[in-house]
Amino acid sequence: MKRLLTAFLIALAFATAFAYVDDALSFAHEAALPYVKKGFSVREDAWGGDLGVKDQQAVQAQLFKGNEYWFCLGTDVKGAVLTVNVYDSKGSLVNAETTHSGRLTAVRILPQKTGSYYAIVTVHKSSQERTGWALVYAYK
Amino acid sequence: MPNILKPVAAALLLAASSGLHAEQAPESIDLSTFPAKAIDNVVVPVPSEVFLVLDKLGNPNWRGELRESLGRQSGNRAQVALLLGTVIAEGFVAVEAEDPERVKDIGRRVLALSKAINVEKAVLERSKSITDKADIKDWKSVRKEFDGALHDVKNAMQELGDDDLAQLVSVGGWIRGTEVLTSIVRKSYTPDGAELLHQPALLNYFSRKLETLSNKRLASDDLVARIRKMLAAIRPLIGDEDGAEIPPENVKKIHQLTRDIVVSITTQEA
Repeated sequence: MKRLLTAFLIALAFATAFAYVDDALSFAHEAALPYVKKGFSVREDAWGGDLGVKDQQAVQAQLFKGNEYWFCLGTDVKGAVLTVNVYDSKGSLVNAETTHSGRLTAVRILPQKTGSYYAIVTVHKSSQERTGWALVYAYK
Repeated sequence: MPNILKPVAAALLLAASSGLHAEQAPESIDLSTFPAKAIDNVVVPVPSEVFLVLDKLGNPNWRGELRESLGRQSGNRAQVALLLGTVIAEGFVAVEAEDPERVKDIGRRVLALSKAINVEKAVLERSKSITDKADIKDWKSVRKEFDGALHDVKNAMQELGDDDLAQLVSVGGWIRGTEVLTSIVRKSYTPDGAELLHQPALLNYFSRKLETLSNKRLASDDLVARIRKMLAAIRPLIGDEDGAEIPPENVKKIHQLTRDIVVSITTQEA
């Protein structure tokens, strides 16, 4: 009985964790939707997790000069304020345009050079101790 | 992670303490102070991200880049994973070539190779969808399905605890994609085309992954050892600085290195 209860609790924890990421991912895909309509392709791979307020996470990406990118961020916490900013390998901000609406944030990048870039996700405000986030990117 | 990222945190802390609005991004940051634990793995681009730029730079003969044979599969799991990566990359080439029969052939092959390493279920729907969308020449959707197949195969492998094999699929795809990229650039060299080869973070990432494979058998595999050497040989050829010009002779060398490995992956016997 004890084993069954333990298994149930583990399964419940997993289900909750996946729901947590899935919600943020749904919002990230929603943030990408306007760009899909403009001919962008959204990558199937996504990145995400949870962060405390003022915490940051960087995702390193290889971007190619000649392409245009939108990095789209979603969160599962209503009212939370998150940003994504993209820097080149020398640490210079390369955001060309930023949009924000509710749980969705997106930043447009037009790389001037082919190379490594860093998308930095920051949680500025949140009612929760940990805030779920997910990031996808679209290219054209 | 390198010192390169450490200064990010310091710069952002400074920005916050100096009274800037919390959501305003600093114009520049010192990346070397960013804590290593806060950096996710490198995002591996799909071949079509590079191919799109090549299309913008000129009019490549994509049909001429298609391989006649998709390669033979052996009983070696490392070879099958690498071959699967090259075949998916070939799918992106076939999409650029807008060759529906070739695309369908590749979709079927992806399924067969996935079966050989027990992840067939993950790509069954993708394979069917590739065929359906190739029939109606919906190339954008086919491209998305190949990206999805790559994603699903790697996820399925990771769920089975085969993260090492998943890495080999990525590496195989990158090698074939780079072989095609260098083939096109060396035929009609431009500095902008060659600059697409400047991928230091990816090379470092793949090298690190192949040097830390947890599966001893895969780690000592001859083909994997050769790929490690190839990555080390390519690293000095792609320039240190972003925007640095990569000369035609380097493009040619990278092409030879990647072509030789693709030949080894696709012709290996059981």
